[in-house]
Amino acid sequence: MESLRRAAQRALPSAELQRPSAPALRKPPRCRCPVRVAVLREAMAAAPPPSTPGGSQPPPPPPLQYSVLLQHLVGEQRRPRAWDPNTFGGIPSPPKSKEQKMVERVMESCAFKAALACVGGFVLGGAFGIFTAGIDTNVGFDPKDPYRTPTAKEVLKDMGQRGISYAKNFAIVGAMFSCTECIVESYRGKSDWRNSVISGCITGGAIGFRAGMKAGMIGCGGFAAFSAAIDYYLR
Amino acid sequence: MDPLRAQQLAAELEVDMMADMYNRMTQACHLKCVPPHYKEAELSKGESVCLDRCVAKYLDVHERMGKKLTELSLQDEELLKRMQQGTGTA
Repeated sequence: MESLRRAAQRALPSAELQRPSAPALRKPPRCRCPVRVAVLREAMAAAPPPSTPGGSQPPPPPPLQYSVLLQHLVGEQRRPRAWDPNTFGGIPSPPKSKEQKMVERVMESCAFKAALACVGGFVLGGAFGIFTAGIDTNVGFDPKDPYRTPTAKEVLKDMGQRGISYAKNFAIVGAMFSCTECIVESYRGKSDWRNSVISGCITGGAIGFRAGMKAGMIGCGGFAAFSAAIDYYLR
Repeated sequence: MDPLRAQQLAAELEVDMMADMYNRMTQACHLKCVPPHYKEAELSKGESVCLDRCVAKYLDVHERMGKKLTELSLQDEELLKRMQQGTGTA
């Protein structure tokens, strides 16, 4: 709107256009429209020349009707056009194809991120479970013979069970945390440390809530602190 | 002012107007949505969501302001016509 008005003011310093303009908050950028000024002047000069030479005053040029012009610019009579950011001064780049846009949308969605965290958590949990099964074992303990070494079958079974159990827990926790963090970030529209703290509290609270309200609050605080520490370390 | 002339004028002014609007919108939304921390090169989810909303709001505001301005200029023209008629008959 500003460039249009400035162009019109430069073309027509007539009384009807001298209305008090609002004070500019900052210096407006220079309008790159000397061509437009010429166009407007030509429109003004389209009034027919006076028929009597050396006689009466020439008739005043027809006033520029803003309302009609605006209808064609932003109102009902605006014709829809295909706008290309390359012509506006954006960095020229080929437009994204439909498939590319769909793939990007899927990759950025919350569901995909949650699934990714779930799979990652499963793998990590499995590895962690198998590892701890080797360290802290109480497999094959026979009270009658405490020094009996467990058989390989027993050890492997224990490792497998522990691995699966840890993997499931890690997968669920990871998916919940990732999902809530994505949802909170989409809602807030910002990406800072508060997202992980809030989603950590929600996840910890949900996990601890099964054991009562107090355990839920402790879980919330603990998990939020843990998330904040990890975030601080990573950023 | 005949509609054809108005249409021609509008077609020429529209490009300039749209380019100006695009530049201002880019600047404003970048200022609001992308904090100057730059820990990674890609836009995060929060920032892209914010940019979507910023562009939608900006275009909505642009349209509404345009309609309001059209209304105001119609009122001005009627007033001017009445004034001219007044001085013409007086």
